[in-house]
Amino acid sequence: MAELWDGLREALRLIASGDAELREIAFRTVIVSGSATLLAMLVGVPLGYWLARARFRGRTVLVGLVNTGMGMPPVVVGLVVWLLLVRSGPFGGFELIYTKRAMVLAQFVISLPLVVGFTVAAVQALPSQLPDLLASLGAGRVRTLWLLAREANLGLLAAVMAGFGGVVSEVGASMTVGGNLQGNTRVLTTAIVTETSRGQNEKAIALGLILLAMAFAVNFVLTLAQQRRLR
Amino acid sequence: MEVRFDSVAFDRDGRRALDVPALTIASGRVTALLGPNGSGKSTLLRLVAGLDRPSFGDVRVGQSVVRGARAMRGVVAIAFQEPVFLAGKVRANLELGLRLRGFAPAESAKRAAAAAEALGIGSLLERSAHRLSGGEGQRANLARALVLRAPVTLLDEPLSGLDAQTRQQLLFELPGLLADFSPTTILVTHDREEAMRLASDVVILIDGRVRAAGPVGRVFRTPPDDQTARFLGYTILPADSATVAVPPGGLRPGPGAMTFELAVVAVIDTGLGWEVAGTIAGVAVRVAWDGAPPSPGDCVTVSWTPPTGG
Repeated sequence: MAELWDGLREALRLIASGDAELREIAFRTVIVSGSATLLAMLVGVPLGYWLARARFRGRTVLVGLVNTGMGMPPVVVGLVVWLLLVRSGPFGGFELIYTKRAMVLAQFVISLPLVVGFTVAAVQALPSQLPDLLASLGAGRVRTLWLLAREANLGLLAAVMAGFGGVVSEVGASMTVGGNLQGNTRVLTTAIVTETSRGQNEKAIALGLILLAMAFAVNFVLTLAQQRRLR
Repeated sequence: MEVRFDSVAFDRDGRRALDVPALTIASGRVTALLGPNGSGKSTLLRLVAGLDRPSFGDVRVGQSVVRGARAMRGVVAIAFQEPVFLAGKVRANLELGLRLRGFAPAESAKRAAAAAEALGIGSLLERSAHRLSGGEGQRANLARALVLRAPVTLLDEPLSGLDAQTRQQLLFELPGLLADFSPTTILVTHDREEAMRLASDVVILIDGRVRAAGPVGRVFRTPPDDQTARFLGYTILPADSATVAVPPGGLRPGPGAMTFELAVVAVIDTGLGWEVAGTIAGVAVRVAWDGAPPSPGDCVTVSWTPPTGG
């Protein structure tokens, strides 16, 4: 218990002192996980919309796969991406292994099923007659998609939150494909592991608190946007 | 605008849901598509709106062949059976179609207000569309289609899901509204009364086929076959050599031109008189009874006298 308090004190001290390394790690975390989530939204929202509305053989199997993917262990994703990107692997020539781009790629793979799954649920919750209604009123394809997205905004914001929350908190994939290189690919979660293994418990707790505060801040902003829509 | 079907067929799940070799729906009139549930009425309406494409043949509105809903947006407006709205105010929902058709904001607002006023929901324009009651929702649903003043307006069961009082009120108002807002109306209903009250022409659809089409009075007076007659409320009774279709309310107590033996099952006190329920050769019938009613178990004489010249 005393360690937790020490950790809290240390965290406040570190934040107040504006520790350069800490700031850099926190900033890198937001950039990496933010980019991965953004990419997952760009691909996952249209994919989820299509999956929610299309009728074809094997659709249920595909939705089942997506739902399974929502709980995929990040370290397994990391392992697969590592095998693909490692120098001797099929995409080794791109020299992406142990870079931030590799981390974005791995986190994108983790985040995608979360975004797709939440989008499918959000679109399926809309009245099924809406697309016909919009078409009959004269909306084109793009306009229809935009109006439906606006209609499903609560669910889509949940998709962003789930996607971001899923990747900002994972450690396995970032560690495996990023390598936890100081000043290069170290993010908050991998830094916590490092500090803990060094016995620097106060610093680890401080990093953990910052991670929690950051996750809360991002989700709070999104929640504000979501709940304002209800009024 | 005239709506024409040329050798149109529509298949769903490998089954022929609609088969209309030839049908013309007249311009400038209200035409009811009347048929039981699952008879293909809504499918036919969706083909006119361009929401579905026929498997074979062409649907024409005016001179142009229907190709897709967006292409029809200047010509056809449709009110769906279920009032579904986008999140936001009633006003925004009424204006959406106008805005998508390129009307300026001020003009859209003016038209939406006029349509809302006509449908008695002028005071609800600033209300959230998701907070309308059933009756208000149906009025807003109709207003959203009528506000477009399209050459052809399609109404899918416009009075479904309403309580009896609201339904009667709208039945009373609708003819005037259609005259003001809709040059040509096609109206889907499974209710004979709605068809009679609202439409001048009727198309009877049963099992995806047109059984009769023409002025309401003529079609109701002379149904082409027993199945159509039964759907229109006729009682099909065995006569000397074949069957006879007795129109609703046609059976009277006592002897007449065609006499039947009625086995009384129940006598109903309607408050205003008596109604005798029973069977004639196994067919369930009801007869309005003036004078002292029989008792259940009795066998009584009833009759139908066809109108002279009919």
